[in-house]
Amino acid sequence: MLKLGGHIDLIKRATGIPAALYTITTDPNLPISIRPRFALLSDSPRDVTDYGAQLVFADDPNRPSLTAADNVYRVPVHFDYLKDGDIVHIDGSQRRMNTLFRKGASNNSILLTEQCNHYCLMCSQPPKKIDDSHLLRRALDLVSLIPKDARRIAFTGGEPTLYGDRLIDLIRHAKIQLPHTSVDLLSNGRKFKDKDFASRFGKIGHPYCTVAIPVYSDDPVRHDYVVQAPGAFDETVRGILNLKRFGQRVEVRIVLHKQTIGRLRQTCEFLCRNLLFVDHVALMGLEITGFTRANLDLLWIDPYEYRHILSEAIETLNTYGMPASVYNHQLCVVNPDVEGNYRKSISDWKNEYIECCGACTRRSECGGFFSSSKMYRYSDHIKPYV
Amino acid sequence: MTVNVDFDSGVFSLDAVKAACYALVDRFTSDIELSDRKIICRLTFSDSISEPAASAHIDRLRKEVLDQDLRRKLKAETEPIRNLILAHAFSKTGLIGDE
Amino acid sequence: MSEFHQIDSYTPRSQQYRLLPFRFTQLNDQDYVVSNIAGDFMVLPDEDLRRLIDHELSPESSLYVELRARQFVIDESTAIAPDLLAIRVRSRYERLADFTSLHLFVVTLRCEHSCKYCQVSRQSDNRPQFDMSSADADAALALALTSPSPVIKIEFQGGEPLLNFPLVEYVVCEAERRRVNKRIEFVIATNLALIDRDILTFCAEHEINISTSLDGPGDLHNLNRPRPGGDSYERTINGIRVAREFLGRDRVGALMTTTEASLGRVRDIIDEYLCQGFDRIFLRPLSPYGFAIKTRSYMRYNTDRWLDFYRQGLDYVIALNKQGIALTEFYASTILSKMFTSRDPGYVDLMSPAGIGIAAVVYNYDGYVYASDESRMLAEMGDHHFRLGHVRQNSYKDIFLSPTLIDPLEESFAYSNPMCHDCAFEPYCGADPVFHWATHKDHVGLKPESEFCRRNMAIFRHLITLMERDPFVRRLFMNWANRC
Repeated sequence: MLKLGGHIDLIKRATGIPAALYTITTDPNLPISIRPRFALLSDSPRDVTDYGAQLVFADDPNRPSLTAADNVYRVPVHFDYLKDGDIVHIDGSQRRMNTLFRKGASNNSILLTEQCNHYCLMCSQPPKKIDDSHLLRRALDLVSLIPKDARRIAFTGGEPTLYGDRLIDLIRHAKIQLPHTSVDLLSNGRKFKDKDFASRFGKIGHPYCTVAIPVYSDDPVRHDYVVQAPGAFDETVRGILNLKRFGQRVEVRIVLHKQTIGRLRQTCEFLCRNLLFVDHVALMGLEITGFTRANLDLLWIDPYEYRHILSEAIETLNTYGMPASVYNHQLCVVNPDVEGNYRKSISDWKNEYIECCGACTRRSECGGFFSSSKMYRYSDHIKPYV
Repeated sequence: MTVNVDFDSGVFSLDAVKAACYALVDRFTSDIELSDRKIICRLTFSDSISEPAASAHIDRLRKEVLDQDLRRKLKAETEPIRNLILAHAFSKTGLIGDE
Repeated sequence: MSEFHQIDSYTPRSQQYRLLPFRFTQLNDQDYVVSNIAGDFMVLPDEDLRRLIDHELSPESSLYVELRARQFVIDESTAIAPDLLAIRVRSRYERLADFTSLHLFVVTLRCEHSCKYCQVSRQSDNRPQFDMSSADADAALALALTSPSPVIKIEFQGGEPLLNFPLVEYVVCEAERRRVNKRIEFVIATNLALIDRDILTFCAEHEINISTSLDGPGDLHNLNRPRPGGDSYERTINGIRVAREFLGRDRVGALMTTTEASLGRVRDIIDEYLCQGFDRIFLRPLSPYGFAIKTRSYMRYNTDRWLDFYRQGLDYVIALNKQGIALTEFYASTILSKMFTSRDPGYVDLMSPAGIGIAAVVYNYDGYVYASDESRMLAEMGDHHFRLGHVRQNSYKDIFLSPTLIDPLEESFAYSNPMCHDCAFEPYCGADPVFHWATHKDHVGLKPESEFCRRNMAIFRHLITLMERDPFVRRLFMNWANRC
């Protein structure tokens, strides 16, 4: 599993460098005029000037003293995945570096806030009540730096819509700076119950923006329970209706676990009868991280045990012509009739395989496991295809 | 054959009884009379009908009156929300609850 | 963790709930069908229905949870159902605004068949006074193109339309030339006896669909549909094969007419359709028009016999599907699309407001305009009650706003009908003022005596009963509902 954040040690510094974003390069001979935007990544320090920062895996004790170089940091070896074009955030005073964008990743998630008005039983990013609006500012800067050929980015939280119109500004900024990049906005959708807000959002007119909103049950009580917020269902559905009214692309997500599997087929029917204008439905496997571990008894059900329910749900969605995908499941725990909707994965940096997968002939088609699942809990029925 | 069936007018509305008789008009014709606290239905069957068949029709009438009565209760309770839903279904502006 | 609440915290505290609008009708001795204002249905035992209406259900019971999710009740935990219901009601009626989409052009009354059930055709092959003139065709086309519908379907009928093929060609070419912002689909309803390569080449060029008659296996088909040479079946089969070569499978369809002789042979008929490679069959009701003079008990007898025919046929179709043979029954799928979706399948005979004029209109060979195909048949039998005007003498407004059309539409609107108003099946049913006029001389008919009502209610009950008993059937029916 890739670690995106880490502690860094200062080897040599210049004065007054603020926390900033840098694009990674391994080229020590970049034109001087552009060097300040880049962080030079090498095994050991080089005596070169004008790079915004230097990142090294080890400090060579026999090296000559660095007269020209400044802001040299030693970074942990787990950052060896970094490649040219990746973007990192370096905070010298806090001694922290975070990888924010990886050029080779199919999907880059950008965290906007850890604040949230829900408290989902299976939350993978448990809420924190702190002012972290610096993350929004950082995201604006990041969008300006991300290469124009990036395929897809996702804005996540917490609940991004807590920023109100500042979020709209961010999405508009992404539309202008990255006109060909798909943007997914993960949200509980409740803020869009405000028709005017939904209208302003729709007016951004981003041609490739999808708002991904969870609806966990057709039973309002069950949905409210899963997200631990009374009245959530009504506001979320109202938000979806408003967004569609203003021409915004919407995806409905359902995380599959013991609290949502019981009415999964009925929920999919509900979506097909009432919200057929939604653009896509994503059925997602459970990630064993965040609150999920604390609530494992309430949530865990072996996917192999619910495979027939999943098949029924997918059959319903396909019958009504609702585009649908299954994410974050292993190929050996779903029925063949679901394979037309099966997607290999949603975030490639999290995926791994277990030992018996070595023999599997279909491994390349399979999304594997979340690292967290591999560590804590996964199906008892994993079997290689031979 | 003609049979009288009574309904307590304190319990059932005349409307419900009439609706029930109408619904079953292919099985018998009825004359309805209000007297004291009773609604009297004088049912006329075709000549060829047998006792058990007529009896079955009468049971059906009793059930139908209960159903019609229940329908009126349901309708009274749901009339306002029904009108609201229809009004919004056919309005130009759109959905209820525009915040 | 202590900071997470149990599901009880989200369950409504009080037992109070509000009923949303719904209707109920008996399914059988024990159960009722309840349907909400959007047309969703559930089956409830008698006792549960009463407890529901008497507000005696507990919010924790699984029945209550289901009723709330399906929009039959709301409570303090949720209030969004009315919005969702309003959207679906609107969707259901949306097609009305498009107005007339099906335009039938009777290009000739001439025909070389003498089918027993046909009320309209003239056998003599060579009398042009039974052909539609190009002047009338022009006027009819102008009316058709005035329809607000973005897609219209022009269907050529007869007699046998191929006997006046030059006029078909004329209308197709003119329609394509004159249309603005409209998509036009063409269909020719033909017995295929006179099909040839030139005709099919034209059809392929202009993407015209073929709809033919196939009543069943050869002996049944030829019995119903005599022609000189007694070879209607052979010509039909051959015609289907050749038409498919030019047009592909999807553009060649078949319909059956159900007669006395068909009853008792439903499996043979279905087998014939399978044999000819069709994936769809429409088990059509018996036409009442030939039976108008018969007694009421005879009509009821025929309805019962037809219902046996239909149920047997449907059972067989379901059994075939269980074997993996994908065959759809069209009458069921039309009803099912109303049960499972908010889409109106646009089947003229099962629409309320009635399909006459609104969904379909007929321009007859003599230039007179009729509200539906059945209306035209009635006219041939001497009853001009549904004649709306003449293509060259009356304007679009004269025709479509005439009281001849509006009155039966208004009177027959099912929702306003005393019994239909309370019926749980009303969302799936239709008003058929022409049928009721033909049988009762009344646009509405006395519902308890209406064979249209009896037949349809029996089918609704049958479809629901089948679904309740067998999950496979429910999934199959949901699939059919979305194919319409």
